[in-house]
Amino acid sequence: MAQATLVSERLCGDLEQPISALAWSLDGEFLAITSAGGELLMIDFRAGCEELLRGDRDSSLDVVGFSDDGQFLMAAGQGGELLLWELGGTGVRPLAMDPLPLGGGWIDAAAWQPGGSLLAVAAGRELQLWDGASREWSEPPLQLPGTIQALSWSADGVQLAASCNGEVVLWQPCLSSAADLPLRHAIASAGLALAFSGPGHHLACGMLDRSLLVWPQGCHGQPWQFSGFPSKVRQLAWSDQPGRLAPLLASAAGEAVILWTQVKQGSKAWQPEPLLWHEKRVQALAFAPGSTLLASASSDGSVALWDGKGQMLQPLEGQGCGFNTLAWRPDGLHLAAGDAQGRWWLWPVVVPARARQRASAGSGFG
Amino acid sequence: MAFSSPVPAAERLPVTVLTGYLGAGKTTLLNRILTHEHGLKVAVIVNEFGEIGIDNQLVVDTDEEIFEMNNGCICCTVRGDLIRIIGNLMKRRDRFDHLVIETTGLADPAPVIQTFFVDEDLRDELRLDAVVTLVDLKHVELHWDTEEVQEQLAFADVLVLNKADLVSDAERAAIERRVRAINPMARLLTSCNADVPMQELLGVQAFELDRALGLDPGFLVDEHAHEHDDAVGSVALVEERPMDMEKLGSWISELVSSRGPDLFRMKGIIQLAGKDERYVLQSVHMLVDGDFDRPWKAGERRRSEFVIIGRDLDAEALRTSFLACVA
Repeated sequence: MAQATLVSERLCGDLEQPISALAWSLDGEFLAITSAGGELLMIDFRAGCEELLRGDRDSSLDVVGFSDDGQFLMAAGQGGELLLWELGGTGVRPLAMDPLPLGGGWIDAAAWQPGGSLLAVAAGRELQLWDGASREWSEPPLQLPGTIQALSWSADGVQLAASCNGEVVLWQPCLSSAADLPLRHAIASAGLALAFSGPGHHLACGMLDRSLLVWPQGCHGQPWQFSGFPSKVRQLAWSDQPGRLAPLLASAAGEAVILWTQVKQGSKAWQPEPLLWHEKRVQALAFAPGSTLLASASSDGSVALWDGKGQMLQPLEGQGCGFNTLAWRPDGLHLAAGDAQGRWWLWPVVVPARARQRASAGSGFG
Repeated sequence: MAFSSPVPAAERLPVTVLTGYLGAGKTTLLNRILTHEHGLKVAVIVNEFGEIGIDNQLVVDTDEEIFEMNNGCICCTVRGDLIRIIGNLMKRRDRFDHLVIETTGLADPAPVIQTFFVDEDLRDELRLDAVVTLVDLKHVELHWDTEEVQEQLAFADVLVLNKADLVSDAERAAIERRVRAINPMARLLTSCNADVPMQELLGVQAFELDRALGLDPGFLVDEHAHEHDDAVGSVALVEERPMDMEKLGSWISELVSSRGPDLFRMKGIIQLAGKDERYVLQSVHMLVDGDFDRPWKAGERRRSEFVIIGRDLDAEALRTSFLACVA
């Protein structure tokens, strides 16, 4: 039962060290913020309070997330252990569970299953699944030939993709039949970013060798390969709005953001639209839920908002230092970002009609 | 492939790569670096925590993972784990002033070094300060023929001859000669218990062309005894006549493309025909960097000096082809 408008003007606050990750609960009532010093702050908007769940200990947290059912909050990072809190709803203090050591070194990729209770964690070369229903690790973990660099769930929570140097693996962990072996695709370099499109199940993989792979609908067959990027392709985002053939895809390599539209089938199917504005590396990309409005956060100290045609709508300026990360509230009307000096920002965003394709987008969770 | 980053060296974080065979004293030296009052906040990346100060949050462990960037070419192999871990660590860039990377005793140092020149992020955010190799004076001869020992000696900018208290002066001098035959350009330090002055280890700037270690004319003056049968060795070339830039350029390109995997390090100061400035260059495998650095000083002996450290080098053939570059 989210408030329709959370804030009417910009809100910000500070942690001690650079902000490393942000996550909203599905109902949009909680925002969790981590720092490179290991701080974890949870803001409870309904109760109007915030709680520092962990203080600065000079050991980074790099990934954070709420389970879809709102029962758990997870965080992980340099310490190599999975941290979990049990949530009791608004106004109730989260209860820290015992940390779960994984022994795979620094953890920087983990994600909750959409609509499910599984948490996928990249622990070195093992893809581990923690089940929130049984509160146990689901055995056995999936082995990859190299350290996992990225992972992504499909929007329906059925498929889990993970990438390392030389391989992208597609796994359906809830289908336990031995006949359903994970599908392994060889890739020429290391996959640094992975993203499933909501409608259509395309899978995109941003690569260390300055290329981008996109597997067609259902991830069957050969991927399209796009090369010639100015640097590593490290950020990807799909719009959740269906396109004529595929949803819009955004990629970031260095300071360049490219908006990709599928215009036909077969080869040369995708049309690139470069979005030029940022002067330094783009650190985060995300489409607003329920629209084709794209936000990009850069080390140049700005967050830019783009419409689905690649027109720049509005820059959001910070305090001059670079932005590290951003996250849309599930209502698509509020954007949170974190910067390299430890400040977090929250802006109310008015989505222009031309980017908003679903009339009720804003009240989807209301 | 060029070395340099468009980002000025002073803005990049200095990195020391610490190598040495098993038991050479790397852990002792790392603990000294972590506890020494040198005024630097040092972050350390180790292969396993072992006896390193585990409470220090700037000590991070990692598992060596080699990425082949370009069809398995040896010169394009990098350490994928370092790209990821350093990327994470650099979010806290303002918390430390220097990064030290320990390699395993059995590691080839080349992929670590190349990571800082090949990876676009690390190249712009960090600069390799020096490769420091620890040598166990007491035991090094037992492992002398292993590839790892020879590579670690060959790639070094600073060689720390450790455990000097466990050998006689004559033994130490003999090892020094063997080490020098492989690597005539590294700075040699002798230590007991890895006790070396920190200013000799950190902030050396061995990879900065304009400050390149040992690149003062005359660094090859004492001719080394080349009587050795190690597969890894060095060739020092000296020429009084000015060289032709174009000829020299094609010679070096040809050399690195045909012999790149066998050429570990090269450094040179060149006197070019018609130029009042010294031309300095260096390489790691196929990565070559060269530039004019400063005018020859009045009274300075103008000549070209070039040293090649590598495997199976044919000294005569190299000398002949080098001399063919005379203007």
